[in-house]
Amino acid sequence: MAKTIIKTVDLRKTYMQGKIPVEALRSVNLEVEEGEFLSILGPSGSGKSTLLNLIGALDKPTGGRLFIENIDVSTLNDNQLADLRMKIGFVFQFFNLIPRFTAKENVELPMAIAGLSKGVRGKRAEELLEMVGLASRMNHKPTELSGGEQQRVAIARALANNPRFLLMDEPTGNIDSKNAFEIMQLVKKLNEEKGVTIIMVTHDQRLAAEARRTVHMLDGMIVSETVN
Amino acid sequence: MRIIDMFSYAFSAIRLRKLRAGLTTLGVVIGIAAIVALLSITQGLQTAISSQLQRGFATDTLIVSAGGGLGGGNEFNLLVKDAQTIRELENVTASIAVIQRICYVKSSGLTRRVTVIGVDFVAYRDIYSSTFVAEDGEIPLNPEEDAVIVGKQVSDPWNNGTLFCTTGDTLEIIWTNTTARPLRNETYTGRVVAVLREVGGFTVGGPSDSRVYIPISKAQSFFGTETCELIIVKLKSDDKAMIDSTAKAIREALGSGVTVTSSTAVLNIISNVFSTIELFLAGIAAISLLVAGIGIMNIMIVSVMERTREIGILKALGMKNRQVLLIFLCEAAIIGFLGTLIGIGAGWSLAQIVVRIFGSSSGAGGLRQAGQAVVSNGTTITPVLTPTVILGAIVFGLAVTMLFALYPAWIAAKLKPVEALRYE
Ligand SMILES: Nc1ncnc2c1ncn2[C@@H]1O[C@H](COP(=O)(O)OP(=O)(O)OP(=O)(O)O)[C@@H](O)[C@H]1O
Ligand SMILES: [Mg+2]
Repeated sequence: MAKTIIKTVDLRKTYMQGKIPVEALRSVNLEVEEGEFLSILGPSGSGKSTLLNLIGALDKPTGGRLFIENIDVSTLNDNQLADLRMKIGFVFQFFNLIPRFTAKENVELPMAIAGLSKGVRGKRAEELLEMVGLASRMNHKPTELSGGEQQRVAIARALANNPRFLLMDEPTGNIDSKNAFEIMQLVKKLNEEKGVTIIMVTHDQRLAAEARRTVHMLDGMIVSETVN
Repeated sequence: MRIIDMFSYAFSAIRLRKLRAGLTTLGVVIGIAAIVALLSITQGLQTAISSQLQRGFATDTLIVSAGGGLGGGNEFNLLVKDAQTIRELENVTASIAVIQRICYVKSSGLTRRVTVIGVDFVAYRDIYSSTFVAEDGEIPLNPEEDAVIVGKQVSDPWNNGTLFCTTGDTLEIIWTNTTARPLRNETYTGRVVAVLREVGGFTVGGPSDSRVYIPISKAQSFFGTETCELIIVKLKSDDKAMIDSTAKAIREALGSGVTVTSSTAVLNIISNVFSTIELFLAGIAAISLLVAGIGIMNIMIVSVMERTREIGILKALGMKNRQVLLIFLCEAAIIGFLGTLIGIGAGWSLAQIVVRIFGSSSGAGGLRQAGQAVVSNGTTITPVLTPTVILGAIVFGLAVTMLFALYPAWIAAKLKPVEALRYE
């Protein structure tokens, strides 16, 4: 039995849209084990991104509990949250690379933030870019790369600090289907060969089916679960 | 995150907006340049003047005058024979009366307006032994009544060797007797016995290049007066206590109508005036730096807004609030430091140019009016850039930029990661 690294208990998130409260998450209970590949499937507005942002410590819940490796995240201050985020790999739909940096510099950035020396992080960035198949494009800037290539850079960057798990919010949402397929192959390989824990948000049934387990969301709640 | 990485990150952000960063830096450059230029000029001026003052002043002398301060006078009249009274006081080694009138002097058809000073040549030379020195001719020990000594500038007014008068020439001295009715021009013919060596600068009571000297006895009879404008008193030393006690003794001997001024006091007043002017000018220049600071703040707020998403990314990658703050402060520090360095260079060059343009001759001329007994001649100003000014400029320039960058940096640091990432 693998150990649980993420656990949510009655997790809630309410946004205030002016004076009207919007319940984006209404009592979410979820457990994720180490080494899992989980997909979160649901229609637009069902609260998938909200849940992922909470798990990624980018946002704070309005109610309930979130445990990451048995630590109650709601008790952490800004500094501790930042330290936690350093150990979480985030991959966004819109890549979110720094445009003025090359692929290699983008991958180096989280390691620079972590305080690694130039030599160490340069070497590791090269290894990571090689692994995602971008050995020949390391010194290109994001604008000189295709969407698929940019997302590979983003994945390499997310892996830089040896994260506990990888959170992906519609990683192929902005990529054509051929490249999307390749990205999915890469993600599966990471999970199967490197044992990286992955949580992927999507509203695409077929993509969700690539994961071993899928939770279905609707109106801020997990309504069902399937094992593929 | 390592400091070097913060700086290199900040630098990459600056490089992205070269024009904007350049203009922001320019604001700092102008502010610092103004401060450095003003300070180095005023300090240069001060150095020039005080070195001239040191030469023209004898620190062991007191100047006695009638009434309120230098050259002033009301009911009280200082008499020539008061010099004798003072000479008998303790610690006084010499005491000489000075009579001073504006006259016209005529030589070979040309007429010039000068100040004529009646003084005991020998005693005067004893007090001002380094400046009352003949370049040509000789200062007579027992001067004839018609002996005249002229300052360098009177002899050679155009500074080109074409002399107005020189040793051996006769000089017609014309004085308008304003107490006679009707007004009458008194005239006598003197003989130039010596031309003084160039003195330069300022003096209180001491020799000056633009004056004509005649024996005190001649001055008394020619101007028909028993009063004098100044009495110069030489003491045994420039000991502060001695200066004070003698000044007090003089006031007691001659009554409250006299003003006793010590040369050191005058020096202090002048240097105080300069400090005030310097502070005032630096204050004005500092305002321009504040304006630059506001510019920095404005630009940085815009920059933080533009880079909101980038800040969100940094935070998602684990950057702490403090580090975000530091990155923006690093940007300001780079701009501030660069601007300050260029500003110091620019200010220094500006000072050189200003000094060249306004030239040596008029540089200190504004002080010509500072007091009847204070006289200025051509004073060359060399701008002075002290390490203190350089260091001060760097500290001040950096402090102002960082201070104004603090608020924008704080905004950046406080951004919430999700919201920053959602920002378009
Ligand atoms: N910052 C916010 N302020 C107000 N309401 C918000 C905010 N963010 C999300 N919401 C609302 O919360 C609900 C859930 O949003 P969320 O982005 O989690 O949905 P999603 O499942 O990721 O949708 P999509 O598939 O379109 O990305 C939506 O109704 C949305 O309008
Ligand atoms: Mg979403």
